[in-house]
Amino acid sequence: MGERAAAASLKFVTVQANSASLAEARARVFEFFKTTCRSIPTVMEIYNLQDVVNESQLRSAVSSEIRRHAHITNPKVIDMLLQKGTEELHNIVQHSKQRHHIIGQYVVGQRGLVHDLGTKDEGTSDFLKNFYRSNYF
Amino acid sequence: MAAASASSFIPLKPRPTPRVKLGAPQSFSFRRPALAPARLRISCVAKPETVEKVAKVVKKQLALPAETLVTGDSKFAALGADSLDTVEIVMGLEEEFDISVEEDSAQSIATVQDAADLIEELVRKKCA
Repeated sequence: MGERAAAASLKFVTVQANSASLAEARARVFEFFKTTCRSIPTVMEIYNLQDVVNESQLRSAVSSEIRRHAHITNPKVIDMLLQKGTEELHNIVQHSKQRHHIIGQYVVGQRGLVHDLGTKDEGTSDFLKNFYRSNYF
Repeated sequence: MAAASASSFIPLKPRPTPRVKLGAPQSFSFRRPALAPARLRISCVAKPETVEKVAKVVKKQLALPAETLVTGDSKFAALGADSLDTVEIVMGLEEEFDISVEEDSAQSIATVQDAADLIEELVRKKCA
């Protein structure tokens, strides 16, 4: 599994207090993102995702999830989102989910299979593509 | 190096202190443990292939066209990376080189050259 995943798994035991400021919440977001990225090899091994996706695609799926909420400035809301994210990560790493959940939510996501986006999407307009993805663009 | 990586860790054993016999000539016949400084910034230049690999990861992450010039001095912010992108690039480098970057080292990365130097240092520590 490697030292990276082992180091990341230690963090699940701690319960964090509320963030005092936006800067602290921001630091917590980056910590959460790093923990998630370091658990990605474990996740790929548990759910046998080696043929479907590679690590950097999962990493960009995670970062786009985080970026969807990048406009939020209230530390309490950020804490709540982090708590949900940690819970989700915990469920995934503990194998409480199944392979089709991971594939449906993070590999295929909202945009179609990540490495199948090719010639069929070239004609559509950018406005529609962004519109299908989220409200904020 | 344990003291450098976990600053809140309290060491259980005190470091060995030199014992000098009274009356004997001052001779330190043993060797004091060499103290590596906690944050040593290596000022020598990283290997060009390391810089190349870092540039490749950066370009892929930021989806830059292949002909964009990414040199050692390019700052991540100038290439269009926000803070989350920078963290993601560091994670990509961790995966590529199979190293683990500490929190405070990651804060000091601003250019491609910083990243390459840090990677070289960590790879050297890992193999040593």
